[in-house]
Amino acid sequence: MSSDLSPIPPEADRRLPPPDTRAGRATRWLLARYPVWPIVEHLAEKRVPRHRHSVWYAMGGIVLFFFTVQVITGILLMVYYDPGQPWQSVQRIVMEVPYGALIRSIHHWAANLMILAIFLHLFSTFFLKAYRPPREMTWVTGLMLAGLSMAFGFSGYLLPWDDLSFFATRVGISEIEKAPLIGGLLADLIRGGPDVTVATINRFFPLHVVVLPLVVLGLITLHLTFVQIQGVSEPDSFRAMPPEKRKYHKFFGEFLVAEVPVWLALGVLLVALAALAPRALDPEANPAASAPEGIKPEWYFLSQYQALKLFPGSLELLGQALLALVPLAMVLVPFWDRSIPADARGRLATRMGIAGLAGLVAMTLWGFLS
Amino acid sequence: MSDRGEVVEEGATGRRGFLAVLGGLTVAWLAAVAWPVFRYLSPRPPPDPFGGEGKALVKGVAPGDVARPGQGSNGSYGGRGLVVFRGPDGQLRAFDSKCTHAGCNVQFQGDRIYCNCHGGTYDLEGRNIAGPPPRPLTPLRVTAEGDSLFVSPMSS
Repeated sequence: MSSDLSPIPPEADRRLPPPDTRAGRATRWLLARYPVWPIVEHLAEKRVPRHRHSVWYAMGGIVLFFFTVQVITGILLMVYYDPGQPWQSVQRIVMEVPYGALIRSIHHWAANLMILAIFLHLFSTFFLKAYRPPREMTWVTGLMLAGLSMAFGFSGYLLPWDDLSFFATRVGISEIEKAPLIGGLLADLIRGGPDVTVATINRFFPLHVVVLPLVVLGLITLHLTFVQIQGVSEPDSFRAMPPEKRKYHKFFGEFLVAEVPVWLALGVLLVALAALAPRALDPEANPAASAPEGIKPEWYFLSQYQALKLFPGSLELLGQALLALVPLAMVLVPFWDRSIPADARGRLATRMGIAGLAGLVAMTLWGFLS
Repeated sequence: MSDRGEVVEEGATGRRGFLAVLGGLTVAWLAAVAWPVFRYLSPRPPPDPFGGEGKALVKGVAPGDVARPGQGSNGSYGGRGLVVFRGPDGQLRAFDSKCTHAGCNVQFQGDRIYCNCHGGTYDLEGRNIAGPPPRPLTPLRVTAEGDSLFVSPMSS
């Protein structure tokens, strides 16, 4: 009986469960059909360096945990959300559906904590200089994911169609409208008209639940594949140690197992936050009413909001241009600061990063207090 | 504890114990998630089609549409389908139109009530007489009030 089945590699045969067990038979059956042993072996040997900054390696997994929570709670909310009756359907979720208020509040809190975890992931990657060659594209896809996560936040914010979401969206899109040349056209395309109306919901809803998830899932796959191929980056201080002193955790088995209790605890934290500080549903959006007092953007847009306030009137365009330089500089960093161990550029990049982080925190706090 | 092998074995047991606790916690965590999700997805009981008054307005059929024997039509009450007709004996009758076989809406055809989906046939009393339906149609008490028809449950 001739067959196209692949032979089991001897090194696989040694490491798989014994062939007379059920697990041994099943794994050999699969490997004979899908000869992926080199990939399995590569992943099994994946290891995470142990050093005093190791805790930051958990951040990516934490972002992924929150993203998973968002996918699950998002699908659940979609069961009762109706873009034709946005505010009424959210009210029904909160008032009538069992556990509806809890699930909505978890979606809200996980969104905020996901953005926070992305910031921690981004800055720890930056200060440990993991963006340097050969990891430029891991850094760039990560930046794209951070930007798309903020687009997730902005598009989802409108969907309950309450007072706050209406004015926040109107203000946010008006910033796009001020951009030179294409601003007006772009704003009309996003809004579906000259003002924020239910037509805007009909655009933001498919964006929030179909387009962004598809793009983000694709980019996450790419981002994680890059990390799997290259392994995690080792900081300069770790590389400088003699080889016999460098210690590692196995990724599967040790590192991942240690992250599971963190995820479980974060799940409990989400329920606690949702129960103690549930997301309110303000009165239904009234395009004719005055904006609520003290209205401010979500915290992750506060620094931009506060920075733009420093450029009043005709200077606002200058402020926008300067703000646009920040993501541009972040994309370009790995192509400029390339040296391992860090050289003068590397030290300058770190100092600029500290200044950027300090500016972000200061502007955000200022935005809160003003 | 001076014996090296003993220490390694103890470490392995500790690790197994840790994994067992972690596995148990994970299963408990998932179970705690599953219950609210199940409750969230469980549909509300449908509203009583007869409302508080014990009767429902018939939509889509007026008394004039079923004035003469042999006339009949499909309509609706409280969001459900019904078939209403005046039999050869001159009596006005109504049934919930949902076929007891697979849920298609049946049709009045003069001497019988017929389901177009799978050929289920009922007599004018709503009894299943041919084809796949396992049970008679649900009868409704029908009354004419002015320009409208109303239905109420047979039992009341």
